[in-house]
Amino acid sequence: MDLLETVAIPRKTMVLFFLVDTSGSMMGSKIGEVNSAIEEVIPELKELSESNADAQIKIAVLEFSSGARWLTPERPIEAENFVWNDMDASGVTDLGDACKKLNEKLSTKAFMREATGSFAPAIFLLSDGGPTDEYQKGLEVLKQNNWFKKAIKVAVAIGSDADKSVLEEFTGSNEAVLEAHSPAMLRKMIKFVSVRASEVASKSANVDSGDDGGESKQDAFIDELNNFKVEAADSADDGGGDVW
Amino acid sequence: MSELKKGQTIQTKGFKSVTVLERLGEGGQGIVYKVDFNGKPMALKWYFKSKLKNPEKFYDNIKNNIDHGKPTDAFLWPEDITEWVDGTFGYIMPLRPSQYGDFSKYLLAKSNFKSVRSLVNAALNIVEGFGALHRAGYNYQDLNDGNFFVNFETGDVLICDNDNVMGQGYSSGIAGKCRYMAPEVVLGKKPDKQTDRFSLAVVLFLLLLGNHPLEGKNTNPPCMTEELEKKYYGSDPVFIFDPINKDNSPIQGIHKSAIAKWPQYPQYIRDAFIKAFGSEQLRGQTPRLMEKEWLETFIRLRSEIIQCGCGIGHFADPTKGVSCKCGKRISIPAYLKFKKLNVPLYPTVNLYACHTISDSEDFKTVTAEVIVSKNNPGSIGVRNLSDITWYVTGADGKAIPKGKDEVVKIASGLTIDFGKNLTAEIVGN
Ligand SMILES: Nc1ncnc2c1ncn2[C@@H]1O[C@H](COP(=O)(O)OP(=O)(O)OP(=O)(O)O)[C@@H](O)[C@H]1O
Repeated sequence: MDLLETVAIPRKTMVLFFLVDTSGSMMGSKIGEVNSAIEEVIPELKELSESNADAQIKIAVLEFSSGARWLTPERPIEAENFVWNDMDASGVTDLGDACKKLNEKLSTKAFMREATGSFAPAIFLLSDGGPTDEYQKGLEVLKQNNWFKKAIKVAVAIGSDADKSVLEEFTGSNEAVLEAHSPAMLRKMIKFVSVRASEVASKSANVDSGDDGGESKQDAFIDELNNFKVEAADSADDGGGDVW
Repeated sequence: MSELKKGQTIQTKGFKSVTVLERLGEGGQGIVYKVDFNGKPMALKWYFKSKLKNPEKFYDNIKNNIDHGKPTDAFLWPEDITEWVDGTFGYIMPLRPSQYGDFSKYLLAKSNFKSVRSLVNAALNIVEGFGALHRAGYNYQDLNDGNFFVNFETGDVLICDNDNVMGQGYSSGIAGKCRYMAPEVVLGKKPDKQTDRFSLAVVLFLLLLGNHPLEGKNTNPPCMTEELEKKYYGSDPVFIFDPINKDNSPIQGIHKSAIAKWPQYPQYIRDAFIKAFGSEQLRGQTPRLMEKEWLETFIRLRSEIIQCGCGIGHFADPTKGVSCKCGKRISIPAYLKFKKLNVPLYPTVNLYACHTISDSEDFKTVTAEVIVSKNNPGSIGVRNLSDITWYVTGADGKAIPKGKDEVVKIASGLTIDFGKNLTAEIVGN
């Protein structure tokens, strides 16, 4: 390699996990909105990844209804190459199975195997109901997973039937849960969370973050979420009102 | 309101108005728009409301920087600031010209320099910019790969994101990324000129070697947590080419660029980095390399660039020449021996003001060129392109004046007096 030859600088990987509730109650406008909002945010994630010399962004998707299934079963896919396939909704809400399957993949033997290492992932849960299975056990195990502990965790409760306390349990904080009551709001939240959580998670930590006294990436992101909530409330008038 | 709408008009402190034309991009703290600023296309950085910890102080600082003015034209410096709108504001700066690309794209191997010369020019330009910034009493505080736009043809550099730039002694409170910060800043110290210089060395290393100076086999954990970043960039940093401590050597197959390029740079470049990332410097104890030292180092490096006919650029020892991997041997007939450096006398080499004018740091103004005689291809000379008359002395001791456009025919043993006690000797190889 001579002086003018270049190879891309080794980067960390940051995986953005989408955990999407595809139970029967999501059928119709909710799942339609989720599908199109995620599809639309992919190009932005791609751009973020392409210009980020700290880390590349990969995407993994787990849907859960009657049981949980990976839409990216082999490995997380680079944002650059990711193609969104619309999900359909039917069945019940087996969140416990989703926790179990996520736990299996949050391991250096599975999705977190990268020669140049990873940053802690960003985990984004979307649900419109409450778990129908014995989710506690799965969640307890997941909470012991170090990748999960270090991850940025955030959830969107879709509509008023969503069990917010479960989402709080999952993310570890009520501040990390957003509530969407209209398609416009849901779209806005998916975009904001996907882009901002990925951005925070995929950059070298800010010097005032970390354990000793400062903010963790999760705290930094929660600050952003709180600001987002304030601004969203300000502009709620043009959202067309609550429909869910 | 955080986002601006197309066509929206805002008043500035300078009693002008800006009209939003289009959105250019988004960063952590705000959005950058192309705007019409009193008839002129400019860029407006518009902050996200409530993203700033102390917006009034931040506003005042930018205003201050506008009043004090830019260190050099290389800075996309704030030129005006808007009035507050709904709890937030923005500042106006020049647009990035289209021939400039992101430095991070270079790190990701998506853009590349046209020549080794433009690569070294970029290093010189970055150093010059920070020297000027520091001389003007500012420090940058959160220097990183996102702060540079580069013209990959020429190596010209523009420095953006000048909103966190502060006068000496102030702290913006903006936290930079660990990877780019001086270890003592990672551990909680306020940034200043010395810590800027550490970040500068990181950027220069990235530019020349293509890898991070502190990222090797010790710093490649499966999960890079915030605590580990603090350790690797703060409490326990080790230079990947530390001559004694090999704990953090680069990894074959991963840090390919640094492994391949490190031996291709002359020893004095490697020494400069070894010094910049020495264990004392990493603990913030010894003063960091000053811009002036980097400047001298890169001026020397650039003057040693010899381009092989096959297109590959080399750093040639002026006293020895170099073998190209295409098989050709490039021999250098003679060199100019200055006090601090040797300049190869090889066709296509230029001399700059920093060579021929005493105390000059100007590495841009060409003052002489090495040429081949039209009538006699075996004979080369140095043509004076400056307005200053040189005096050339040979064995006979007679000083012959060489004014603008006149040529000194190269012969071993001649001494050129450039004036003001600056001389160099021509030495044949
Ligand atoms: N003067 C300019 N002219 C043209 N484009 C610009 C200019 N300044 C910034 N940009 C573009 O706007 C985008 C955002 O820039 P910004 O400086 O806000 O980003 P950042 O450095 O990532 O963010 P921040 O400093 O807020 O953390 C980038 O894509 C950048 O290329």
